Amino acid sequence: MTLNRALFVALLLIGTLWLALPFGMAILWSLVDASTPWTPDHILPPAISLDRWRNMLGNPVLQVALLNSYLLAPTAALMTLTLTLPTAYALGRIPFRGREIARMLTLLPLVVPGFVTAIFLTALLHRIGFTGSRFWAVAFSHALLFLPYAIRILSVSFEQVRQDHIDAARDLGASPLARFRVAWLPALKPGLLAAFLIVFIQSIEEFAIAFILGSPDFTTIPTLLYARLGQDFVRPDAAVLSLILVLPNVILMLILEQLLRSANPSLSSGKG
Amino acid sequence: MSTRAHPVWPKLRLLALLASGLGVILVLIGAVAWIALAQSFGLHNPMGEDRLTLDHWEKMLDRRLYLRAVGYSLWLGFAAALISVALAYPLAIWLRRPFRGSALVSAVLQAPLLVHGLVAAFLFVNIIAYHGLVNQLMVALGVWAEPRQLQNDRNAWGVLILQVWKNLPFALLVLSGSVRAIGDDILDAARDLGAGAFARFRRVILPLSLSALQAALTIVFIGALADYSFQVIAGPTNAQSLAQLMVFSRARSWHEAAVVGVTLMVLSLLGAALIAVLSRALRLRGVL
Amino acid sequence: MKKLMISATALALLGLPALANDLAGKSWDEIVAQARTEGEVTWYVWHLQDALREAVKPFEAEYGIKVTIAEGTIGGHFDKVLADRMRKTGDVDVHALGFDRYEGMDLAGLYIPLHILPPDSGRAYEVTGVSGQGHAVAYWGNQSGIAYDPAKVDETDLPQNAAEFAEFWAANPGKFGFNYENGGAGPSFYTNVIVNLGGWDRADGTEDVNRLMALEPAMAFFRDNGPNYVITASNADSITRLSDGELVMVSAWEDHLAGLQQRGEVRKDLKFYVPEMGMNGGGNGVGIPLNAPHPAAAAVFVNWLASAETQSMFNATFGTVPMNAAADSSKALVSPEDRANQVAAPARPFRDSVEAYFIENVILER
Repeated sequence: MTLNRALFVALLLIGTLWLALPFGMAILWSLVDASTPWTPDHILPPAISLDRWRNMLGNPVLQVALLNSYLLAPTAALMTLTLTLPTAYALGRIPFRGREIARMLTLLPLVVPGFVTAIFLTALLHRIGFTGSRFWAVAFSHALLFLPYAIRILSVSFEQVRQDHIDAARDLGASPLARFRVAWLPALKPGLLAAFLIVFIQSIEEFAIAFILGSPDFTTIPTLLYARLGQDFVRPDAAVLSLILVLPNVILMLILEQLLRSANPSLSSGKG
Repeated sequence: MSTRAHPVWPKLRLLALLASGLGVILVLIGAVAWIALAQSFGLHNPMGEDRLTLDHWEKMLDRRLYLRAVGYSLWLGFAAALISVALAYPLAIWLRRPFRGSALVSAVLQAPLLVHGLVAAFLFVNIIAYHGLVNQLMVALGVWAEPRQLQNDRNAWGVLILQVWKNLPFALLVLSGSVRAIGDDILDAARDLGAGAFARFRRVILPLSLSALQAALTIVFIGALADYSFQVIAGPTNAQSLAQLMVFSRARSWHEAAVVGVTLMVLSLLGAALIAVLSRALRLRGVL
Repeated sequence: MKKLMISATALALLGLPALANDLAGKSWDEIVAQARTEGEVTWYVWHLQDALREAVKPFEAEYGIKVTIAEGTIGGHFDKVLADRMRKTGDVDVHALGFDRYEGMDLAGLYIPLHILPPDSGRAYEVTGVSGQGHAVAYWGNQSGIAYDPAKVDETDLPQNAAEFAEFWAANPGKFGFNYENGGAGPSFYTNVIVNLGGWDRADGTEDVNRLMALEPAMAFFRDNGPNYVITASNADSITRLSDGELVMVSAWEDHLAGLQQRGEVRKDLKFYVPEMGMNGGGNGVGIPLNAPHPAAAAVFVNWLASAETQSMFNATFGTVPMNAAADSSKALVSPEDRANQVAAPARPFRDSVEAYFIENVILER
């Protein structure tokens, strides 16, 4: 118990450095007034104002982009999970020749060079006519691009579903739904949430494909961010934008943390 | 019982199951991967004429810039994967059962997920800049006589720190999902049979989370191997990562960029295969 | 079988649709009338987007055509244009790109020919030796040079040639920075130093191993002085570190520096000069993709962008070099004396070989 406490304190300290430093810097940068740049001979920004915040929040594209990104990410994540489940089940529970190779091939979307995917996958989607709705085209591309994460994670989860639990549930005459709830879901839930979160975060950050398929009507957050961190590298603007992005992310994390806790199988499956 | 009815049926079922994920990947991304491969041999140039040739491979293999990029990216990929997972694994085991404050700890650890990688890189460079916090602190403490140039350090510690900062939460997510799915009944049974903490780890936790370990290593490795944004902002200026070299070459030749891209694909798959072989070896030994 | 199928897909998606350019054969008045009917135009430009949204307002007022300036980066825009080529109608009306990127590209396969524009002998279809092939025209002129911190370097002490740079490096180790990637300011600097050291006829673009070998003394020059200068990560990194006081002199583009100063990102007292040995001038151009959704409005907009009035206005607002011979260039950031030091970038493809050689023999030796 004391070990736990010591570890806890140490970790919290590191965590503060891990977080407080970058976030603190971001807050300071976001307050730099355009009249006087913040140079290192000043410990704090020499001129402070909320102008950067006002400008960014007043940018009509920002609200649309926020809405787009936060609709897109969960949609892509759900699509990924839907596409993943059957394949992950097969890779996790059915032994077959070439399973390792099949697993390796599922990594393809992650390993194909980004610019090749960006140009040719989008061209392919245009060709087969799946770009009528920009939203669904981007969502599908993201779902496809981030499938490897979900397949990897969920095939591990499927492996961990215990046969004795399944058998016991069946022997006790549980309905398929009940069997799924008591034997499958507890082992799958952490994996489902982890996969959802990873795809969500990756979708929020993806620029190239979302831009090519979405622009000019469907703007997402990374498009705004990359413009401000590229050629016209303006640190205060980038800091404001990244802080604006943190808030919805924190809310999401809190929700998922809650879900993850209720998913703890050692509590929900019961030992007795 | 029913599975013995006809040998074709399970195969069809397997194919149908694989079609949803792997099938979609092979059809859509397979075509794209094929284009990348063809481009590296002089075909499919979106900007000019096609000519089947080995020239681009010969030219790149002859350049030290390319060879150094291969070595550098491989080092970065494996180092980032090993460090991230080595840190995340004990944390995942520690956080397996909730205790007072565990939610806070895992929130702090996972917070980097909320910050876009590009932003993290710019904040980091800010902290280690010539007049940044680290330098000011070291000079004020009298450890260093004058500020040092820490940015874009030649050993790539900066990039590695960023990689771990960003990837540890991902590894933690993958690993804690798996570690939490290990039933208490198994661990209790092991304890009842007199297994100590280390034996429980080696006999129960490790074998049951080996697949997750493999998945976490693979995901972090592939991500770090293909790193572009951290390297461009914080990486050494006397070496390029493969992704950086790919973008750099593209301004001159699509085909040379494709050679680098195909190299990246092959190395990713080889790395993933190596991790798979190692974890299989570990699994077989565990059974013994 | 599967392989065959995949390569068939690849071929199908690379085949280009034949596009009828519906502007051909129309008079300019008809094009303007069509443009008004189209009513909107989307410009993919990657720099100073907020300021340019302001700058295009006179055009919107004059023609009643709404200009949308797309967000994004130069690379993102370029990929978008390439990916869109396979569509019958794309999203991009006017596409901006650095003029040097046009070299070696087949612009006829990308953009419509600009002979549909009304005659104007002042337009720049060629910038420092690179041709827009009649399919792209310049709208933005700029100059590479050296940005410096006047608090640390006296204006009279500014190095003007390779030997003086080496002296400056030796006297101020670790205070001079240039990049070799992520922007052309550094490459403009080091290639011009190499030219200045002798043995490179910049107008001759033929690739030749012996010519390359003749530049070895220049490589030795950079290697020997290696400990005294800094390689930065990008154009932007150079300027940031200059403003932060770490460096006192860096390679830079004048319009880039001015833009960052205007946005309060870097110190306003930083100055800029073009050394006597010469550094590259450059520019940005625009083209109209073959499948532009509003081709007539795009043509009218490009005509406006490249006009003498607009170029004078850009000169006054942004300090750019006007890209129309009839424009007023009095407000440029660079003085006329400095402007005289502008040179064209050395001819390709030999310059590419030199840059690759420099990376292998200088950068990788660090």
